[in-house]
Amino acid sequence: MKKKQDIPATVFYPENRFDRMARRAGGVPREQALAQAQAQVDEIAPGFTPWLEQEMQALCTAIDALSKNPASKMHREKATQSSEQMRDTGSTLGFELVTFVAKNLCDILEAVAAGATYDKEVVDCHIDALRLAKHERYRGLRPDQVPELVNGLLRVGEKASLVPNQKND
Amino acid sequence: MKNPTINLRDLMILIADPNAYLRRVVNGMLRGFGANKIFEVENSSGLFLALSNQRFDILLCDTKLPPHGGLTLVRTIRQNADNENRTIPIMLMTAEANERTVKTARDAGANIVVAKPLSPTSLYDRLSWIAFNPRPFIDTASYFGPDRRFKIEGYPGGIGRRKGDKPMEVAAEIGPALAQNDIDSLFNTARSGKT
Repeated sequence: MKKKQDIPATVFYPENRFDRMARRAGGVPREQALAQAQAQVDEIAPGFTPWLEQEMQALCTAIDALSKNPASKMHREKATQSSEQMRDTGSTLGFELVTFVAKNLCDILEAVAAGATYDKEVVDCHIDALRLAKHERYRGLRPDQVPELVNGLLRVGEKASLVPNQKND
Repeated sequence: MKNPTINLRDLMILIADPNAYLRRVVNGMLRGFGANKIFEVENSSGLFLALSNQRFDILLCDTKLPPHGGLTLVRTIRQNADNENRTIPIMLMTAEANERTVKTARDAGANIVVAKPLSPTSLYDRLSWIAFNPRPFIDTASYFGPDRRFKIEGYPGGIGRRKGDKPMEVAAEIGPALAQNDIDSLFNTARSGKT
């Protein structure tokens, strides 16, 4: 096979302090570093519940406004942002269910942005599930340990995520 | 491969994420790894202000950093020839770590992608990967960033497109291959060893 074309490219190794310094001797051994990092996360963990409460309030406010005006891009984006923030932190702090429910809600809101019909009941169902999942007693619980809740949410989420052109398929 | 120890002391680390709580968590993890110079920004204007005032050693950036989004920001950083942070290692953090996102991040010039929610292990191992797998930078009309072909298993059609590309070298055969009987016998021995 012949070459299609010569692409002029400059290949170089830039001065990179990260590569150089991160490989220095004297770093914290991996296992110790991981344990220390986890200890730092555990130290921050008590702040998670108040933060989550605050984020839930913001989400509920945005959802209330969105339910009154499902076409509002601003409220949908605010609701999506709150859901994403919960999704992105839940598992790290041991709340895998929060991440799962918030992710499902993100998918639904994204589908609404793509043209799916806004279904208040389905969104409210996820808010209720989030209220449940944020309790301390649900910490450490994986989605596969509560299959009824998970399957129910997945089912309603799937239905609420159908965008018009997909409905015709 | 076992991930070697990394030393983050005195490295200037910039976290760019809109979520204040998440920034705190990442900051805590990095401190646990031994980092002591960590800076945080919550949006792209904060990011550009930081990058124009200070030289950083690594950037951890969310793919949805408002208002422009992390991918656009990575492209902008790589394209700005005047910025001393142009070749900074960039780790993109995303909750959508699918093939499409990873390819887009790679083509934008990111060094690596890490999936959210983060764990100390996922963060440590990716930092370690960047440190111990240095890559050259490629500067072409359409791309500036770390070499995207960091795992070369052969060029398309057997011919590389860059001038410096050489044919892939395959080691010479040093002896006869195992006969099928020998292979079967090895498997049988292994199976019988298990039972």
